[in-house]
Amino acid sequence: MRLEEESQGISAPLWPILEKMPFLSRYAKTRGWYYVISWLHRFSGIWLFIALLVHLYTLSSLQTPDVFLSDMKISIQPTFLFLAWASSLVVGFHGLNGCRLILYELFGRRNDAEMTRWVFGLSTGYAAMVGLMMIMENQQASAFFFWLIAFFTGAILAYVVASRIWKRRHSLLWKLQRISGAFLLITVPAYLLFWFLNPGEANGTHETILWIENVFTRLVFLSVAISAIYHAGYGLFSIAADYLPSRITKTGMTALITVVMTVVAVFAFRLILCV
Amino acid sequence: MSKTYSLTLTIKRYDPERSVSWFQTYRLEAGPILRFVDLFRKINVELDATLAWASSCEHAQCGSCSVNINGRPMLACELLVENAVALFGVTEFKITPVSVAPVVRDLVVDWEKAYERVHRSKPYLIKPKKLPPGMTGFRISPAELSRYEEATRCINCFCCAEACISGNRNFIGPNAAMASIVRMMDPREEGKDERLNLLYSEEGIYRCHTSKACSHVCPKKIDVAHFLALAKEGAF
Repeated sequence: MRLEEESQGISAPLWPILEKMPFLSRYAKTRGWYYVISWLHRFSGIWLFIALLVHLYTLSSLQTPDVFLSDMKISIQPTFLFLAWASSLVVGFHGLNGCRLILYELFGRRNDAEMTRWVFGLSTGYAAMVGLMMIMENQQASAFFFWLIAFFTGAILAYVVASRIWKRRHSLLWKLQRISGAFLLITVPAYLLFWFLNPGEANGTHETILWIENVFTRLVFLSVAISAIYHAGYGLFSIAADYLPSRITKTGMTALITVVMTVVAVFAFRLILCV
Repeated sequence: MSKTYSLTLTIKRYDPERSVSWFQTYRLEAGPILRFVDLFRKINVELDATLAWASSCEHAQCGSCSVNINGRPMLACELLVENAVALFGVTEFKITPVSVAPVVRDLVVDWEKAYERVHRSKPYLIKPKKLPPGMTGFRISPAELSRYEEATRCINCFCCAEACISGNRNFIGPNAAMASIVRMMDPREEGKDERLNLLYSEEGIYRCHTSKACSHVCPKKIDVAHFLALAKEGAF
């Protein structure tokens, strides 16, 4: 066996740190660094689904402005701001790592070590950008212009992925997972960035409603919500399909995931369409 | 004079008559170039004749000695003591049987059960192309062969299936999937539809999440994840 390979690749600079982390070092040694990243991808996905639920719950108070304003006051507390910033790191990592997987699986890119370095570098850069927006506060941007750029960039990426796999004999659900992932790679980080252009009290109920009332942004938010809920649902189904032992438990879990996602989708639709 | 290591092997035992499993610790001295199968044999001769383990060729060609060593699936016939110490940085090793098949006794598993996955992927040409008139055999160009030759080194040791992030309950397994992918890439195969039915199913490549643990642990250094990705890309 060639032991030198164990210390090559992406793990080489991180090896001394990883070796000191009892849990991670075990998996990095026995399964490889990408295995650890795969688990991080799953955990970050679950984090983001929970963050989506919290965000929808916060937005649901838009219909009662007093409650919304008090929620907004909570949202500028340091702990909340830190969690929101941490979510931007998670968004960056999950999206870019998903991009790496799509490039590896569908576009034949095998320079995985280099792509992984980009994943971590760009995720950190994106989180720094969101952090900067949070510190600077009240940056003015046209919602229409911002979303015009973000939506069409996301749509183009989704089209590129779709054109690559649409005619293959894969299951439709699997294809949609990849296509929605490509769309969300741009639109979710854009959404988070957009939200923190105007954090806190200045971003009151009236301005938020104005964003959502615009037909174009409403359509954009709807498409982002559909994609995010579908992507999360398929991700959860995929984890369940890996480990659940019997057909009955798998069917039950699939039904449960479908019901939960439908409820979340209906809630999000009502929120976007009825404000 | 070569170095001697004081090793501690904690081995998972299983007694099928009593349906009881437990961990048993063995302490032994061993030279650097002894393999783990040699350690098992040493235990049988010097410490405990009842320890059951499996091996056949002992040249990393049959895959029957696959075990988990400190959580990593490996061939016991290939791992030298000095390499194990260098890899894990310890002289204490926990050894368990692979979980891809039911345990028969101690480190011996029912390989027939594991092989059922490979049989389902039909590791042969389902419908070979008819020979061109006047030809007695097919000619595969070196360029065509080089695309999948690496995968033909697979010995079905199931280390990849053991390491896979999806586990081995619902996934046919990286080696079985690769056995089918190799035949998809073989220009002589005409039964490709039947192969796609298995590969593009919920127990096929949708259970692969490119964690690349398969490539990491493969004793034959096959980039298994690369072949599974080719199937996702449809680049047969």
